[in-house]
Amino acid sequence: MPTKLSILIVDDEFGLADMLREMLRESGYEVTLAINGKLALEILREGRVDLVLTDMMMPVMDGAELATAMRNDDTHRATPIIMMTSLPTARSQTDRLFDAVLRKPFTPDLLLETMAGCLAGRMESQ
Amino acid sequence: MREQGPSFERRATGIEGLDRILDGGFLVSGVYIVQGPPGAGKTILANQTCFNHAAAGGRALYVTLLAESHSRMFAHLKRMAFFDESAIPDRVYYIGGYSALEAGGLEALVTLIRGAIQKHRATLLVVDGLISAQESSPTDREFKKFLHEIQTLGDLTGCTVLLLTNSQRAAEFFPEHTMVDGVLHLTDELSELRPLRHIRVLKLRGSAPVRGLHSMRITDQGLEVRPRIETRLSPGGVNEQPVAAGLKLPFGLADFDEMLRGGVRPGSVTMLLGSSGSGKTLLGMQFLSEGVRRGERVVYFGFYEQPEAILAKCQRVGIGGLKEGVERGIAQVVWHRPVEGVIDELGESLIETIRNTRPQRLFLDGIEGFERAADFPQRMSHVYSAIAQELERLGITTLYSTETRELFARTIEVPINGLSAATQNIVLLRHIEHRAAMLRVLAILKVRDDDYDARMRELRITNDGIRLLDTFAGESGVAAGGGGAVSDPHAKVPEAYPRAD
Repeated sequence: MPTKLSILIVDDEFGLADMLREMLRESGYEVTLAINGKLALEILREGRVDLVLTDMMMPVMDGAELATAMRNDDTHRATPIIMMTSLPTARSQTDRLFDAVLRKPFTPDLLLETMAGCLAGRMESQ
Repeated sequence: MREQGPSFERRATGIEGLDRILDGGFLVSGVYIVQGPPGAGKTILANQTCFNHAAAGGRALYVTLLAESHSRMFAHLKRMAFFDESAIPDRVYYIGGYSALEAGGLEALVTLIRGAIQKHRATLLVVDGLISAQESSPTDREFKKFLHEIQTLGDLTGCTVLLLTNSQRAAEFFPEHTMVDGVLHLTDELSELRPLRHIRVLKLRGSAPVRGLHSMRITDQGLEVRPRIETRLSPGGVNEQPVAAGLKLPFGLADFDEMLRGGVRPGSVTMLLGSSGSGKTLLGMQFLSEGVRRGERVVYFGFYEQPEAILAKCQRVGIGGLKEGVERGIAQVVWHRPVEGVIDELGESLIETIRNTRPQRLFLDGIEGFERAADFPQRMSHVYSAIAQELERLGITTLYSTETRELFARTIEVPINGLSAATQNIVLLRHIEHRAAMLRVLAILKVRDDDYDARMRELRITNDGIRLLDTFAGESGVAAGGGGAVSDPHAKVPEAYPRAD
């Protein structure tokens, strides 16, 4: 039986992260939550994560800082990171740190499609 | 040794009218509650203050508790002029605080806020959804402790703090109000069918706020606050000092100027009182037209006819020069739709126009336009007084028209308000039935401290302008609409003029 892919959701906004967790679980993923980048790094150190779905603005450690830390870490350098932002249009210099950028609000289909694109290589190796 | 004490340095909100009400803005390190029902404008006020603060070089931190999601908030804010996405995240930073509150209570929330203020070097903090923090607090004392810690944080970091919370009534004064430096109360209520927003300062430490209700509007510019117009001007009633002596300002109508012994005095206020269609607007425009002809600056401020329409109408009846005056920059035509206006917006527009233009002549066409825009009718007398005071201070010779309700009433009611108290001259215009014809008539009812011709004249509007005729020579009771010959039963039938459309 193939192992489920593991997703880490990092978002400080109450409600959204829980909603995404339920939706992704129903789509067959294993999901963990963190409310800031620092807690996300702790979870990354503890076990396998196949994809990180992170908010940009968060307390303690934001999405860009989290992505920088992951890109500087040999273990997580290749882990796909999708950034979720509430900002309507602006592009940030930090966008290059992410494999994809999703603007809130996004549809479940767009999320799953984007995740599938980022996870394509990993799914093949499963 | 340098002594340290409470700082009374201020931090402007950048919302002009609000800063005026707040005596210049919020205190640096001050903690303020902004309360009001949902939809009253709290979030817009706070965000606008954040972006204005960022534009002025500051840094703002916006913490949401159980409030709307950030994406939903941005979707609403992005249509407003103040919203500058490029300021996010470097100068305006948004975080959610509810997860921390749920996980670790108020202590965790304070820790989160403290860390974020330090990390982002914030000088303005907004906590949106204070009610959630209050509800999470096991006791009132714990909540007060939380507020105390926020206050201490503000003191240590030089951060101004806005706490947004729902409250339906200004009368609700909560214990936490004693802990903060100020309380602003926002409302959004219906006045008959009109939605009206107001803001009121319930408390403001170390400042002299403009107290009472002030009107607010939310437009694509953001929140616009207009202090009550009467508070913008110096206190006191209308000054009844005699108007300036010197050369009179004529209307450019030889007959009428003769009745006025040369015109109206500079700086005087003249009421044109009359029924609808009696010629008030055209007489007022004639006054402005003569001003333009003499190279004076003139302003028309009206509610009922749009600028193009009124200029075209003047051209049609031979009152020329105004359009050219507008093109030359010495005439200004200001029009406001009366119904949906806010009286303070109209008042401010008038005051700003006359302060910027400094006209020699002003015609306020349809003073009732102010009344139609009034949120509270009992304010009108104060509003008119304030306007009259400003006109007098600037020495502007003013005509204003006001409408009598009845076309043919036997009695004439002169409206008594703050403006009529300052009125030196009254000219009556009305329709009468005379020998099976409807005629317009004009009479001077009052000229303060001056001689005038009290005769009643027929007023005709022709393609060549306004004409005054001696139609009623020797008749009485004309003003009441029941004119009858008393001395000359064979009064001369007036010379015919081509009537204007």
